[in-house]
Amino acid sequence: MIKLIPHAIMASLLVSGSALGNDLKFTPGDDARFSWDSYNQLKTKDLSGETISIFGPWLGPDKDLIESVIDYFEKATGATVNYSGSDSFETQIVIDAEAGATPNISVFPQPGLAANLASKGHLAALDSKTADWLRENYAAGQSWVDLGTFKGKDGKEALYGFFYKVDVKSLVWYSPENFEDAGYEVPQTMEELFALSDQIVADGGTPWCIGIGSGGATGWPATDWVEDLMLRTQTPEDYDRWVTNTIKFDDPKVLEAIDLFGKFALNTKYTVGDKVSSVDFRDSPKGLFTSPPQCYLHRQASFIPAYFPKGTEVGYDADFFYFPAFADKKLGKPVLGAGTMFAITNDSKGARAFMEFLQTPIAHEIWMAQKGFLTPHKGVNTEVFTDPTVAKMNQILLNADTFRFDASDLMPGAIGAGAFWTGMVEYLDGTSAEDVAKDIQRIWDSIQ
Amino acid sequence: MGQILFAFSTIIVGVFGCVAYFYFSNLLLDRALPAKGPNAGLNINRANAIRPWLFLGPAIVILSLYLVYPVINSIWLSFHDASAANFVGFDNYVWLVNDSKFQESMLNNLLWLIVVPGASTLLGLVAAQLTDSIRWGNIAKSLIFMPMAVSFIGASVIWKFIYDYRGEGNAEIGLLNSIVTSFGGSPEAWITLGFWNNFFLMVVLIWIQTGFAMVILSAALRGIPEETIEAAILDGASPLQVFLKIKVPQIWGTIAVVWTTITITVLKVFDIVLAMTNGQWGSQVLANLMFDWMFRGADSGRASTVALVIMVLVTPIMVWNIRNARKEG
Amino acid sequence: MADIAGQKARLTWAINISVIVLVLLWTIPTFGLLVSSFRDADQIASTGWWEALFPTERNEIFRAKGADAQNLVGDVYQIKGNLFEGGQGAIIAFGVSSLKPTAYYPGETGKMSRDRLLTLQANGDYVLASPKPFRSSRGVRIFATVQSPPKFTWENYQKVLFSEGVGRSFLNTFTVTIPATIIPILIAAFAAYALAWMQFPGRALLIAAVVGLLVVPLQMALIPLLKLHNDIGIGKDYLGIWLAHTGFGLPLAIYLLRNYIAGLPREIIESAKVDGATDFDIFRRIILPLSFPALASFAIFQFLWVWNDLLVATVFLGNNEEQLVMTGRLRELLGSRGGDWEILAASAFVSIFVPLIVFFSLQRFLVRGLLAGSVKGG
Repeated sequence: MIKLIPHAIMASLLVSGSALGNDLKFTPGDDARFSWDSYNQLKTKDLSGETISIFGPWLGPDKDLIESVIDYFEKATGATVNYSGSDSFETQIVIDAEAGATPNISVFPQPGLAANLASKGHLAALDSKTADWLRENYAAGQSWVDLGTFKGKDGKEALYGFFYKVDVKSLVWYSPENFEDAGYEVPQTMEELFALSDQIVADGGTPWCIGIGSGGATGWPATDWVEDLMLRTQTPEDYDRWVTNTIKFDDPKVLEAIDLFGKFALNTKYTVGDKVSSVDFRDSPKGLFTSPPQCYLHRQASFIPAYFPKGTEVGYDADFFYFPAFADKKLGKPVLGAGTMFAITNDSKGARAFMEFLQTPIAHEIWMAQKGFLTPHKGVNTEVFTDPTVAKMNQILLNADTFRFDASDLMPGAIGAGAFWTGMVEYLDGTSAEDVAKDIQRIWDSIQ
Repeated sequence: MGQILFAFSTIIVGVFGCVAYFYFSNLLLDRALPAKGPNAGLNINRANAIRPWLFLGPAIVILSLYLVYPVINSIWLSFHDASAANFVGFDNYVWLVNDSKFQESMLNNLLWLIVVPGASTLLGLVAAQLTDSIRWGNIAKSLIFMPMAVSFIGASVIWKFIYDYRGEGNAEIGLLNSIVTSFGGSPEAWITLGFWNNFFLMVVLIWIQTGFAMVILSAALRGIPEETIEAAILDGASPLQVFLKIKVPQIWGTIAVVWTTITITVLKVFDIVLAMTNGQWGSQVLANLMFDWMFRGADSGRASTVALVIMVLVTPIMVWNIRNARKEG
Repeated sequence: MADIAGQKARLTWAINISVIVLVLLWTIPTFGLLVSSFRDADQIASTGWWEALFPTERNEIFRAKGADAQNLVGDVYQIKGNLFEGGQGAIIAFGVSSLKPTAYYPGETGKMSRDRLLTLQANGDYVLASPKPFRSSRGVRIFATVQSPPKFTWENYQKVLFSEGVGRSFLNTFTVTIPATIIPILIAAFAAYALAWMQFPGRALLIAAVVGLLVVPLQMALIPLLKLHNDIGIGKDYLGIWLAHTGFGLPLAIYLLRNYIAGLPREIIESAKVDGATDFDIFRRIILPLSFPALASFAIFQFLWVWNDLLVATVFLGNNEEQLVMTGRLRELLGSRGGDWEILAASAFVSIFVPLIVFFSLQRFLVRGLLAGSVKGG
């Protein structure tokens, strides 16, 4: 019972906080784990009368979460910030930018899209000091600077994007209790993962639930697989060359990764159902939780628990482990991830101030203390993670020898959100990796 | 309350602004050139020359701004590269002809153009005739019309529950597979079957458009003078003969209108394809290809080129239909 | 005569039956969605909607109560409870491991690891016994094949109807839809009359141009038009979206209305002209009333198109509270990945409701107007 008391206090604090008409999620100064200094410093800026519009892909619960962060900025500076989200963000930001009706700040889930807009002169470069700040304060800072640096309309490279909120993709989800019932162990290497898969088949089960259906975006879950396997079979440098097409898409190195994915997805003994390309990715994890279990393993990014059956508790009913690397490849422990990038699409004093706000630890901690937020910011207090699962994910992020961004998000839209998806669908429907890759490369050639 | 007031006043301003234009512009013309007095004849002639343009004015202005201007813009863009900055001549057209996705889209679009307008018009005509002759016809009509009221995104969800595929060994939640398996067949992932999936997508559009055809054709059928039909019945024509020989020829013009309208819808519809397959498994169509290049590929040059092909493709069908309508009507 | 009457009766039967078949074919898909909209997400994903009315037999996973609920009876620690917790259902088989979820029949006792025993009755009562105390606050899993009665819920509709901002969006949609339906009809009716009955140079060319514009794909116009709106200062506002919908709807409206108006009896219009009526009077007094069915049918289609539109609204209107329309709001409710089919199902029915009312109310005008118009043949 004693253990419960802090929660009860927390809960009552939250309740009283909102009851007093204070719309901040955590009352400033109350909980010593938060970096309130950075919040108090914000108060020195006066932006009353300033309106900042932010447009991004977050909706529903995510929208509430970003707004709970924004509240602190508004409270401290007096500015008004309007966040709006859209499911078709990618389409709409292109239209808005072309038409010159952009919001002050846009939140890009795909750096490739931002690079495109930057090259057409729709983004405003960030302060030169920001790059230095990132190198100093973000783990693997230089890589975050590189990811946010694009060529502008004048052809000169500059830092345009600031990463805030990171997702880890190299995760395999499973049910610990099903593992216990069957006597399976969490594999530490890719070799062990294959051995485990074979073991499950030998026991009469099916190891993997794989689904790559996603309506109009069908195919993207397969691109994540290929990227993860690319990082586990090739050097990070080769991965980067693949992203920039210095290594062609039909290079043997890429084909190796695609065919390795085929070893999982095209092996009918390994997967539930005989047509992976038609299984919706939102439905496929449900097989972990049926009775008897349809499958034991599911590789997907950190957001997937949203699609687990109602009442599933991560940490108990479901858990995850790091999608392991080959022991004999000596490539360390690579991690595939993605993240959202803030960029100024309509310059103003308020927009600049908000971008600076994102550098403060408090801007990260507020979201961290709620749920589903990972950050490479070294200055935040990781004790504010209330959710042990998220803390564990952040650990995977910190243990990584290599961190690479989702390649399809970095490739040009026609590839990363087009040909790559379609190609993967064709591959799973029986076309050879070589033919698929040649097709993708041909389209890439045509847009250069 | 403030919201309602705002909404209400905006609506009033919008609608009445429009009414006021027509009313006062005509009033002004009548005052300026009165059909009375010494110059009555001259005034009437002048007013008659001006008035058509008063009637047409708003339509012409809006059409040129909202449709003609984008078309011209697209023609210009189709000769430029992705950034719209550099002139590239016919590069986009050359690329298009050689693009395998484009060839696939063309073939699929031709299939769509042959099947959907014909099927919807025919079914609509049959539905109109049948429902007109029974007592609960209006209820039947409303039910057949209902799919028109569903948004495309809603329609794609509705059909998900028909075409869904769960793989062998699982309970099927798609109706089609459930029927197939109950007859001893094996379930299929319908919308991933190359070539045939086109027809499964077409069914969705036919399902929607039949209601449209039915409403318009039913209005036309009721407009046929009773005497002609009665005369034919007295001559001993069977109901089927009356329908085929008397009624259908009389409303031929309306049939052409319906056919044309659905043809255009077919060419422009991309929502269904976007939501259900996004052109994968060999089901790409032109409108979706254009959308892809416009917003995913961020290449306005190629997108515009595809758009122009859509426009060119439909022109002969339109000309043929309109000619036909003129001849028969 | 009796033979003819018999034939007629048979024909009526045949017609009735074919209409029933047609109606069934056309409504079954929508009906499936209606049923689904009352089911919960997990059920939608596990059984077909046509099975919703029957008791279902499913393998489910339950959890026994945690260590807090244990009692020491003699030297055995016991946890008692009921799997259904007030709900309904019957156990057909059960198991204690995910490998053998149907190993035991109700009433039997299953052996678990660590010498624990589980006894489960058909009504869901269970007794869990262990020689050592239970420690975990989370109970053990119990696998059971359950026959459960059909279950329906209002929850999906509650979520859609009572979530924040829906009322406001509803109003916004009306603010968009009503003018965007009436304005194009008005403009098109005047233009159609001019193109049908007025003499002026270039008429044929204009008619051809209007028909030609029918083919312009909407997506092509979005960017140049938004740019235009920004340049002339409309920006993203209601005026802009009315004009956009008007522009996109006009060609079809003019085309349909001109066809209809051109078919009106020449004598009526000419005799009015002889009486000295101006074109404006003729339009107001004769054309408008006579073409009511055509106006009404176009109004229905334009209304539906604007009501269900998402693309034009996301481009020409902002995303803020004052401007977000229903379709946009529903999109938000769906979350950023759109996998909640139960919400989609419910929201599809919420949004179908108003168009159907419009259809039903205008349908009456449609018929009445037609009866008046059919005099023309005589």
